[in-house]
Amino acid sequence: MALVGNIRDFSLSDFLSLVDRGYKTGALHLSHNDQMARLYFEKGKLLLAARRPEDEKPELLVRLGVLNADQVAQACRLLAERGNGLTLSQILIDTGLVSADRLQQALMSHTEQSVYGLFAWPEGDFLFEHNQRPAPDAPLAPTPISIDHLIMEGVRRIDEWERIRDRIPSTDLVPRFLAPPGEKLKGMRLAPDEWKVFARINGRDTLAEIAQKTGLSDFDVCRAVYGFLTAGMLELVKRQRVLAAGMPPVEQPRLKKSLVNRIINRIRSM
Amino acid sequence: MQTVKMVISGAVNAGKTEFIKTISEIEVVSTERRATDDTRLIKKETTVAMDFGRIAISDDLVLHLFGTPGQKRFDFMWEILAEGMLGLVILVDSTRPETFRETNRIIDFFVSYRDTPYVIAANKQDRPNAWSPEELRLALRQPPHIKVLPCTATDRESVKNVLLELLYVIQERSED
Repeated sequence: MALVGNIRDFSLSDFLSLVDRGYKTGALHLSHNDQMARLYFEKGKLLLAARRPEDEKPELLVRLGVLNADQVAQACRLLAERGNGLTLSQILIDTGLVSADRLQQALMSHTEQSVYGLFAWPEGDFLFEHNQRPAPDAPLAPTPISIDHLIMEGVRRIDEWERIRDRIPSTDLVPRFLAPPGEKLKGMRLAPDEWKVFARINGRDTLAEIAQKTGLSDFDVCRAVYGFLTAGMLELVKRQRVLAAGMPPVEQPRLKKSLVNRIINRIRSM
Repeated sequence: MQTVKMVISGAVNAGKTEFIKTISEIEVVSTERRATDDTRLIKKETTVAMDFGRIAISDDLVLHLFGTPGQKRFDFMWEILAEGMLGLVILVDSTRPETFRETNRIIDFFVSYRDTPYVIAANKQDRPNAWSPEELRLALRQPPHIKVLPCTATDRESVKNVLLELLYVIQERSED
């Protein structure tokens, strides 16, 4: 079943994060006024981003200066002859019409720029169609693109507190890594201020304290942390849960198993 | 007579009233409380539509079900309801991604200071374009050990299943 919504309510960064963590395969269709975009994913990584239908055609490679028209025609002919699950990109690399590196670089740059533009949309309907794949002749990056740094880029463009406050309601919260962040960091390109925040996260200091120690504003710290949260690297905990001192968590009443069993039996019998 | 309490929470229109109605043995009651926010400037008494249902477990034991008011201005009621609760069902309207952020806020409120047993009920699974429980888990950023269950709040068996799953979580934590 398709996932539908609006990026006003469930932001593009959030959706990319969902695709990443859920290893989703499919196509994300976006529309805003008279603009459209289509993003194809394979197991949580980005294959192609099209801001217009022509971006899904082989001729994109001519526009990007990767190939000339004759080379594109030749590759398309070979694709039609060989077919059988091959993609245009595989044909191009196998026949030596372009190197994998050159193709990757050109398509990655184009794809990233296409996605960055989408973060400027204040709203827009989305529909994610599971398992929808691009046409075989679509110009796909040979290596699917990690979307972690796209998520961070989206977060950098957030300029309102409101959205950040939804996830970070207070600067008294303590950011804490969910796991050693090494693997996740590989795909990310952090700005200097983000590195400053990143380096100060120790599982003890609150966001307010990090702002004080880095000399950054609360907003800048929270925005960076929002990005790390969206990329699934961090959690935020209340200080009381971190420190042994201070107000302890509220204890839940401990019930007798026999009492719980009585309730279970009653509900079962209803 | 011993009473135990479960809380049913979720954003506006998540299906809390329907959920309680479907399983309660009494007509769902709406209670009234004095509001403490700015609505008091307009009138002295403001109705807080808080749903209340009841299931008799035995002659000496009763389960109360409380639905929290969905509107933000009644957040103060949540603290009161959370006191001494056995467990929590968070209902989500699976067809409305615009409510997911609010749902996260509610989860955060109830869970962050308390070690509350809770499950998430992905309501309205019978509707087209409902996000699946697994997709909701990702959207709500819930860890794998939290149960995200399919639910149709108008269906008694579905509601029973959600309550039972919550009770199994509570059972694991209970004393012999």
